[in-house]
Amino acid sequence: MALEHVKIDAANGTVQYLNSTYIYVSSSRDLKIDRSIAYTGIILDGKNTDFARLVVKRVRGNNNPTIYLKPIIILNGTAHRDAFIKSLIDGVIFSFDQIPLVHEQVHHINTLSENLQFINSISFEAMIVSKLLYFMYSRELKVIEPSPYVFSNTNYCYPFLACSFIDFEEYQVLEMLELAESEGLFKSKFLDRIYLCSNCKSSRLSFRETCPKCSSSHTDTFDIVHHSPCAYVGPITDFSNDIDDQLNCPKCSKKLKHIGVDYDKPSVLHQCKNCDNRFQDFHVKAKCMACTFDNPVEALIDKEINEFTLTKKGESYALQGYVSTPKDIEDIIGTVKFDTFKTVVKYEVERLRQTEGSSNIVAISIENAGQFYAKVGSNAQQVMLKDLVSEIRSSIRSSDMISFYSSSVILVTMFEIPTKISQRIMSDILILLAKLVENNFKDLKIEIKANVHQLNYNLSSELQINQLISM
Amino acid sequence: MNGLDEFFDYINSLGFERFIRIFWFFVFFELFRYMIVDLIVLTIAKILKRLNRKKIKEAFHRLDLEQPLVSIIIPGKNEGKHIFKLVKSLREQTYKNVEIIVVDDGSDDDTPTIGRDMERNGFIDKFIRNEFRGGKASAANLALRLTKGKFIVHLDADCSYNFDAIEQILLPFYLDSKVGGVGGNVSVRNYKKSLPATLQAIEYYDTISIGRVVASQLGIYRIISGAFGAFRADAMQQFQGWDIGPGLDGDISVKIRKMGYKVKFASDAVCLTNAPDTFRKLAKQRLRWDKSLIRFRVRKHRDVFYPSQHFQFSNFFSFLENITYNIVLNVKWYIYFFDMVFNFPHELPFILSMNFFLYTCTNYFKFFVFSLYRSEKNVGIAYFLPYLPLMVIYFGYYLRIVRSIAYIQEVFFKKSYDDPWNPPKTSKHAKELGL
Repeated sequence: MALEHVKIDAANGTVQYLNSTYIYVSSSRDLKIDRSIAYTGIILDGKNTDFARLVVKRVRGNNNPTIYLKPIIILNGTAHRDAFIKSLIDGVIFSFDQIPLVHEQVHHINTLSENLQFINSISFEAMIVSKLLYFMYSRELKVIEPSPYVFSNTNYCYPFLACSFIDFEEYQVLEMLELAESEGLFKSKFLDRIYLCSNCKSSRLSFRETCPKCSSSHTDTFDIVHHSPCAYVGPITDFSNDIDDQLNCPKCSKKLKHIGVDYDKPSVLHQCKNCDNRFQDFHVKAKCMACTFDNPVEALIDKEINEFTLTKKGESYALQGYVSTPKDIEDIIGTVKFDTFKTVVKYEVERLRQTEGSSNIVAISIENAGQFYAKVGSNAQQVMLKDLVSEIRSSIRSSDMISFYSSSVILVTMFEIPTKISQRIMSDILILLAKLVENNFKDLKIEIKANVHQLNYNLSSELQINQLISM
Repeated sequence: MNGLDEFFDYINSLGFERFIRIFWFFVFFELFRYMIVDLIVLTIAKILKRLNRKKIKEAFHRLDLEQPLVSIIIPGKNEGKHIFKLVKSLREQTYKNVEIIVVDDGSDDDTPTIGRDMERNGFIDKFIRNEFRGGKASAANLALRLTKGKFIVHLDADCSYNFDAIEQILLPFYLDSKVGGVGGNVSVRNYKKSLPATLQAIEYYDTISIGRVVASQLGIYRIISGAFGAFRADAMQQFQGWDIGPGLDGDISVKIRKMGYKVKFASDAVCLTNAPDTFRKLAKQRLRWDKSLIRFRVRKHRDVFYPSQHFQFSNFFSFLENITYNIVLNVKWYIYFFDMVFNFPHELPFILSMNFFLYTCTNYFKFFVFSLYRSEKNVGIAYFLPYLPLMVIYFGYYLRIVRSIAYIQEVFFKKSYDDPWNPPKTSKHAKELGL
C-alpha cells in the first residue's frame, strides 16, 4: 500500500484513506466523542495508556449505537497491551501508512453494524444487553470472557459491559449477564468465583483474622499447656523460668518431662492486643478497600465468574434487538408471571378432564413489535403495555388471568366460557386496543391479532400453550 | 396372722433397756444424728433466716447495686446436645451480668460444631475446644483462665436452673464476706423415669438437700456440687483451680475451707439434674463418689486432723463428722449386723422386721416434717409416699453395700485412679505423684 492514498488533515485531526475518513484522537482536546459519528472509525494515539483507556471507555460506554460500535484503531505506543483496551479495539497500527492493513476490517465492522436494527429497549437492563449483543454481532464474537483486571472493581472485568458503568457500579455487569443467561441469550461456563462487599459490592477486599469481640487483627497466639497430674492449665509462659530451659508446673512445682505423657498441649489460644479478649476461633473478616466496611465473610455476596457463549436465541436477538427483560413485563400490574400462568392452565386441563367443560386460552400478539418499539421511546413502550393490559383487564372477568409471554405476546385465560363467546370478546378487545394505540401514537401503525385456543384435556397444557404461541 | 401376733408379742416383751440393746444402731446413729440433730438445726436455721430477713434483703440490695460480672463455666465432653437447652435456661435468669464459657474436653461428637455456632451467634461468650481429653479438672481450669468475673459459677451441661438460681447462689457472698464457695440445691428432674430415679429424688430431698442445710448451718458443709457451685474468683486463683478427680467438687470445697473461707449451701438456688436411671449406673456413680471420700478426706486432706498453724476446728469437725457418719458408721453397721446374728440369732426375723418398721416410720415422719423446712419443691410430695418404705432397702442395703465395696476398693487398691471418668494418663501420673 502506498502512503500517498492516506491523507492526513492535521488541522481537522482527520485521516482519509480512499473514501473513508478516520478521526484521529491524540489529546484531551479531541475528546468530543460525538464528533466520531460522522467518521468511518477512530484512530487513537496509544502512547498514553491511561488516556487511551479513557477514550475507549467513553466510546464503548456511549448509548448511541453509531458511536459505541465505531471501530477503534490504536496507533503506536503500548496501550494495546492493556487487557481492557485490547479487548475493545479493532486493530493496531504503528503508522498512518498502515491504515490500509486495517481498513478492510473496519469496513466489515461497519457493514455488519448497518445490518442491525436498533430498537429502544424498555429498561436499562434490556438496553445494556442489546448493546452487548450488537457489539458481539458487529465483531462476530461468539464468546465473551472476563479478564483479571487490577483496575476493575470486581477484580474480573468484562470490558465492553464495564464501559457502561462507573467504577463502583461495575458489579451490575454480573447482574446483566445473569439476566441475559436466564433469558437464554447466553450459556455460561464456570471460571471462578468472586466475593463482593455487602455494602458497596466491590471485590477489593482484604481478608483478615480478627478478634471476635473488637474485630482488631492485632493479636498474639500461644499454646495452652495442660499438666496432667495436677490439672494445671495455662500458657507455656506460666511453665518457663528465667534460670534454665526446663518447664516447671506453677501449681505442683513438678518438672514437665515428656509431651503426651505427663503434659500435653490440648489447644491454642489467641489474645487480642487491642481489647485483651482471649479466644480460640478468629473471626475472618473482609475489609472492603473501597468503602472500608468490615464484612463478616458470611455476609459477602458470592458471584460466579463465567465465560459466556452466545446462543442461537442470542444471535437472533442481536439482529432484532432485545426489547425487554422478563422483569420489565412482570412489573406490570394486573399480570401474573408466565410460570404461574402455565400452572393455572395445567390445573384447568386436569379439571376439564373431570368436568368436560369448555375453557380457552388466548394469545394477543403485536405483530410489528420490533418496528414499533424501535420508533417510540422506552418509557412510551412501558406505558403502552400497561395501557394494553388495563384495557384487556376491563374487558374480561376478574377471575381470568393475564400474563406476558414476551413483550409482544400477551396471554389470557378465559375459562368456563364457550369458545365462540371468547372469540367475540377478543374481537371486541382488538378493536379497543387498536383505538387505544391510534389515540396515543397517532403516526404509528400497530398490528395486533388474537388467537383463541380451546383447551383439550387430552393434550398437555404445555403443548397447547406452545401451539397457541406459535400460531 | 400368727406371725404378726408373734411380732407384736415380741415388741411388747421388749423393755426399754432391751430395746436399746437390740436397736442401738437405729437409736444412737440414725435417729439421733439424722432426725433429732437435723430437726433441731433445721429449726434453728429457719428461725435465723426469719430473724435475718432484713440482712438478707440488704444483701440482695448490695448485689443488685454492685451487679458483679459472674463467669459461668461449663466444662464437659460430648455435652453439645445439652448446651442449647442449658444456655436457654441461663438466659431466663433474673441475674443478667454473666459471661458464659464452654470448654469442650476433646468431644468426639458434634459438640465443637454446636459450640462454635453458639459462640458465633452470641448465645455464649466463649467456646474453647481441647483437642485432647484432659479430664474435667483441666477443662474447668482452662475455663477458669479465661474468666473475668468476680464470681465463678460451675455448671454441668445436662442440668437446668430455676430462673433466680444465679441470684440466689450469689446471695451468701453478700451475707458474709468470709464465704468463699456456695453450693446450689440439686434436685432430680427425671424422678418419674424409673424406680432408681424416684428413690434418688427422695434421697436428694431428705438426705442430701436437708443434710446440706444442716451441715451449712453447723459450718461443716463440705461438698459444693459440681452441678451447681459458685466460688470467689480470687480464691480460685489462689489455689489455681481444680485438682483432678473423681470427686473434685468435694476436693475444691475442702481447699476453700482450708484457706479460711466459709462454704455455704444455698437451698433456694435450685438446679435440676438427671439422676442415673438404672441401679447399675447408680452403683457406678456412687462407687466413684464413695471412693473419693477415702481418697480426698482420708488421704489427701488428712492434714486437717493435724495440729498446725492452719488448723481449724470447723474443718476438723467437718471431716470427723463426715468420716464418722460415712466410713465408721458403715463399719459399725456390719458390727451391729454380726452382733444380732451371733447374740440374737432366734430373734433375727423380728429384729429385721422391727428395723424395717422403725426406719419406715422415721422416713415418713422425716418426709412430712422436713417438708416444712424445704424452701423449694419441684414436685408434690404425694407422688413419693408409696416409695418411702423402699428407702429402707435403698439406704440400708443397696447404698451400704455399694459404699462398702467402694471403701474396700479405694483403701486397698486405690481404684479411684483407675476410674475412666478421668483420662488414664492423668490418673496414672496423679497416682505416682500422690496427688
